Amino acid sequence: MISAVSDERTADQTPSAARADPGADRHAETRARGIELAGQARRGDTIAMNDLLDHLIPYVASICNPIALSSRQDAVQETLVAVFRALRSLDRPDALYAWVRSIAVREAVRIARRDARDIPVEPADFTASGTTAVTAELGSGHSRGHGHDHGTSSHDPHLAADIADVLARLSPEHRAVLVLRDVEGLDEREAAALLGVPEGTVKSRLHRARAGFRRMWTR
Amino acid sequence: MNDTSAGGGPEQPAAHESDAVLGAVGRLEVMVSGIPGARIAADVVPGDFADVWLVMGDLEGGFGRFQPDMRDLRVTHREGERVTAYARSRFGFRARLHGVVRPGWCWLQSRFLVIGMAAEPLPDGTPGTRVALTGGVRVPGRAAIVPVGAERELHRALTRLRTELAATPAGGTDPTPYD
Repeated sequence: MISAVSDERTADQTPSAARADPGADRHAETRARGIELAGQARRGDTIAMNDLLDHLIPYVASICNPIALSSRQDAVQETLVAVFRALRSLDRPDALYAWVRSIAVREAVRIARRDARDIPVEPADFTASGTTAVTAELGSGHSRGHGHDHGTSSHDPHLAADIADVLARLSPEHRAVLVLRDVEGLDEREAAALLGVPEGTVKSRLHRARAGFRRMWTR
Repeated sequence: MNDTSAGGGPEQPAAHESDAVLGAVGRLEVMVSGIPGARIAADVVPGDFADVWLVMGDLEGGFGRFQPDMRDLRVTHREGERVTAYARSRFGFRARLHGVVRPGWCWLQSRFLVIGMAAEPLPDGTPGTRVALTGGVRVPGRAAIVPVGAERELHRALTRLRTELAATPAGGTDPTPYD
């Protein structure tokens, strides 16, 4: 049996920002669609699997891109292979996103570490998805915690290159904490459970990652 | 003549935004990972992507000529990338297929069949197109393929695809009339 990370507070239930955000309804509808597709796919409908793949790719990319950077395509594929291989054992489709998120973070960190010697990043080839979200959250000082407006944000290649350059100087583990805390909106306890490290480690990584990011960004 | 509004010819929907994140062959590998018994056959074939897909994605023409057991196929409904088609095998079996066809990607299922195809250009402008096939006899109603002979059939299909591409001039031919 596979269960999602301990909290079942999927992003739909994340704090007050979600209630005040006019995009929350659309976000909830998107999540409900993914959960519905996961249920159909688990029952053997391969067309639903196809649609679920289309549905999950932007979400998985939004997590993998800022962590795995130049290895993002491998990280996205490895994540989705792990998800689809184990989909039948996901006994609670409503936990889909928390479960996918945990796999995406794990695979992105693993692939980034594996390929660490192959970095540097190629900024010109970098897409803004995910990294712009990190910057926005760091800049705004609070977590949005309910996902991203995939594929609709404008793409500034220079900004994306700058963000990629700064992120590339952080370790994969620090990038993972930033994504979980500042983009996905998890608290320290939840991020610690997902990463399999003590809460204090998450706090110290987050502090260092934020400080490092801001220092490098404003340099 | 073909009903081009429903047929599998040149009128095709645009690629999906997710195709830019994960290539078509990578997508096929993900799908196969979730389907017990499924195998994948991949190769690089000569020709530009557009010309290769003109054959592979032409459901009522080239597709039926390179898929080994397909006698003919008729698209009965098309809406965007969604298609419904009736297929007849060389052994007389009939199947009502439904699924998705868009440039570089095709996924169809019936109660007893699954068919998956992917094609993508080689990187950096290298000549040729990477293609991959999966599918076979479906365990009825389940996301599973009967593995016996599945891989052999996929390689047969790849060989026939190469033959079909060699016989098709660049830019393709007119869609095959359906009687």
